[in-house]
Amino acid sequence: MTASGAELIGQMAVGDREAFARFYDRYASLVFPLIQRIVRERADASDVLQEVFWEAWQGAASYDPTRGSPEAWIVMRARTRAIDRIRATRRRSETFVAPLDDTLAAAPGDPGRDAAERAADGRTVRDALGQLPPAQREVIELAYYAGLTQTEIAERLRQPLGTVKTRIRLGLERLREVVKPAL
Amino acid sequence: MSHEPFDTLAAVYALGALDGAELVEFEAHLAEGCARCASALREAHETLGALARSAPPAVPPPEVRRVLHGRIAAAASRRRREGVRGSFPWIVGTAAAAIVAAALTGAFVAGRYEAALGQMARELAATRQRLQREVAFYRGATDLLRDPTTRVVALRGLGPSPGATGRMIWHPAVGGQLFVANLPAAPPGKAYELWTIGEGAPRPAGVFRVDAEGRAIHRVEPVEGSKPVRVFAVTLEPEHGAPAPTGPMVLASPK
Repeated sequence: MTASGAELIGQMAVGDREAFARFYDRYASLVFPLIQRIVRERADASDVLQEVFWEAWQGAASYDPTRGSPEAWIVMRARTRAIDRIRATRRRSETFVAPLDDTLAAAPGDPGRDAAERAADGRTVRDALGQLPPAQREVIELAYYAGLTQTEIAERLRQPLGTVKTRIRLGLERLREVVKPAL
Repeated sequence: MSHEPFDTLAAVYALGALDGAELVEFEAHLAEGCARCASALREAHETLGALARSAPPAVPPPEVRRVLHGRIAAAASRRRREGVRGSFPWIVGTAAAAIVAAALTGAFVAGRYEAALGQMARELAATRQRLQREVAFYRGATDLLRDPTTRVVALRGLGPSPGATGRMIWHPAVGGQLFVANLPAAPPGKAYELWTIGEGAPRPAGVFRVDAEGRAIHRVEPVEGSKPVRVFAVTLEPEHGAPAPTGPMVLASPK
């Protein structure tokens, strides 16, 4: 029988290394692409991946299943650490400009994902951002992948702060509807 | 005030994009226990969690798995070693609870500062362990000093360590605490051993080490039958101690 992610975290909290191995195998392939997408450099991404799972091991006891799924828990950690990393880089180098020009989501139907369990919903999620109005997609991408704050986004887009906030909220609401079937 | 502005702040916060005064304001609002915002955040995190799947595929570097397993195994064996040295759970339990509670509250209010908090918690845990040890010793010493039967005996450095000093706070029925200063660290494979000398042969009273500043605090059990002790002496012995003194005497109380 397959243990749920929450069960694995519970076992990790009491020092079960076998549970950690399974947790890693299950979630590393989910969060690594995100980390890689955010930090860009593979060496940095590798560092961040290690940091994220080390902290997950150490912080397993603080996981509260009523506050969210294991997937949301580990993705939050991964995104936070990855963004910490690029913010630190940005502080060191004033000239660094967060990437905006890339195609942020892979093309719909892009093959090559190995986890069969995700195949069904993967497509829906993969182009989720593509289903947002461009103005909403833009602010969400700048926050989610480039780690910009609302003020930075407003400056960058030369839009009023209030507009940026509203777009983020509406974008997130729309996104929720799009990914809901996958959750 | 209507809740509506907070709905917007919650969305921005979930993306980690809230900043400035609004960040402070929203975290204060959360800390008050707003269930609506907590639920909005939960939902937003699920949505953003699912969005991770939209990143272009990338295979995790295999060495990360190996390194992590090595780190975890190393940490586990370190914990086992530290466990053997013992802990003092009977002191500062409240402080420990307060630290844990503070860490938990902090994590709730500002989830994205978790790493900093984790680091702080680790440092606090190390400091706490050290303080617990020290508090245990000092409390033992002050308790002893309150008792009129307790006497304080000075020990003077001898032979190889003339600058060393010691104070023994001794109660015949309770035992005592030895405080040592200016004693050089014992050479590798050696340690200091305390002896109580009364009637008959010197009795071993425990092995101790000095810290980098040449200080030591050593807890001493009472002599069986509360027999009187006339002299306290410290000798240099093999690191696990000896049943009778064999090495040079480095500290002793006057006869």
